[in-house]
Amino acid sequence: MAIINYAQKVINFKVVYYGPGVAGKTANLQHIHKSLPDPSKGNMISLAAGDDRTLFFDFLPVSATTVRGFTAKFQLYTVPGQVYYNMTRKLVLRGVDGLVFVADSQWDRLRDNVESFRNLEENLREYNYNLDEMPYVIQYNKRDLANIAPLEYMEFMLNRRARQVPYFEAVAVNGDGVFDTLNTVSRMVLVGEFGQEKGEQRETA
Amino acid sequence: MRLHDTVIHEGDAEKINAVLTTFLGESGATEALLIDRSGQLLAMTGANRALDTASISALAAGAFSSTGALAQLLGETEFTVLFHQGNKESIHVSTVDDQAILLAIFGERTTVGMVRLFAKEAATAVGQLLAEARSKPRNKGALSTPLTADESRTSFGEPTKS
Repeated sequence: MAIINYAQKVINFKVVYYGPGVAGKTANLQHIHKSLPDPSKGNMISLAAGDDRTLFFDFLPVSATTVRGFTAKFQLYTVPGQVYYNMTRKLVLRGVDGLVFVADSQWDRLRDNVESFRNLEENLREYNYNLDEMPYVIQYNKRDLANIAPLEYMEFMLNRRARQVPYFEAVAVNGDGVFDTLNTVSRMVLVGEFGQEKGEQRETA
Repeated sequence: MRLHDTVIHEGDAEKINAVLTTFLGESGATEALLIDRSGQLLAMTGANRALDTASISALAAGAFSSTGALAQLLGETEFTVLFHQGNKESIHVSTVDDQAILLAIFGERTTVGMVRLFAKEAATAVGQLLAEARSKPRNKGALSTPLTADESRTSFGEPTKS
């Protein structure tokens, strides 16, 4: 749910990084926070438990670009991945404009990915949001590890809705694929909100 | 289906700021933040000091929604007020409507009772203004036509690999 403020010339969007526990959602935000220059980012807040696992959410506000005199700001959130934190996960989804599903590429986490994706669909339904209408991308993280599933297999497991969405291979702790993911989802959110001229290439839709 | 966007035009912003300014004058609070329940700041009035309003908004909305979930566990619809007391400064958060909350920061020159009393009045007035703002046509003026490919191309500083 975008917030467009004509008085301040600002458009605010909310993008949520979703996925199973320890898939690298927080690592994405940490790399973005580390890499962006100060004027483009705010403080990063992490509500984490003692073992650094996200307890409620991470939050990082970033601004990308100016659209017709309006500054486009994106509020990036993560959710806690562990299954038993579903109530807090649901709260973070409120008013979401775009999603990044961060999947763990390791063979032994495949089932967790699928369960988390189903959980995302269920939680969106409770807000009457529909993944078919929601801009989202999938990030296959931890591609540097040895025991990972092939990309085609990950795609078959997770990117199998009627609308196939853009996906990215990533090693979030090194930053690989992090900005490709962010640039694409933010572009999809903008196009989803305001549309794109006919005849223009809609590579992200 | 998506929730409707909230569009605040210049005229809406002026009216909202006027209500918040009156609230500050009557209650003795130092700052008033109108926050969408998704965590985004809609409007702010108050002392001219550097506050991290983006973080305050995200955290307040998170705290308020989490107390709402707590209320539901007890069979309540929601807790309509959230109050955090500090040594010198305190925070009062209250419901405006089902999409927005009002946060007041106040110090020792007033009391939580005063803030609560006037926050209720301010919330009613702001709620009406927000309802009006939400009922207006969505994208007027500069944002009414579709974007070109260049306009929708966001880049956060690192080159996008193709």
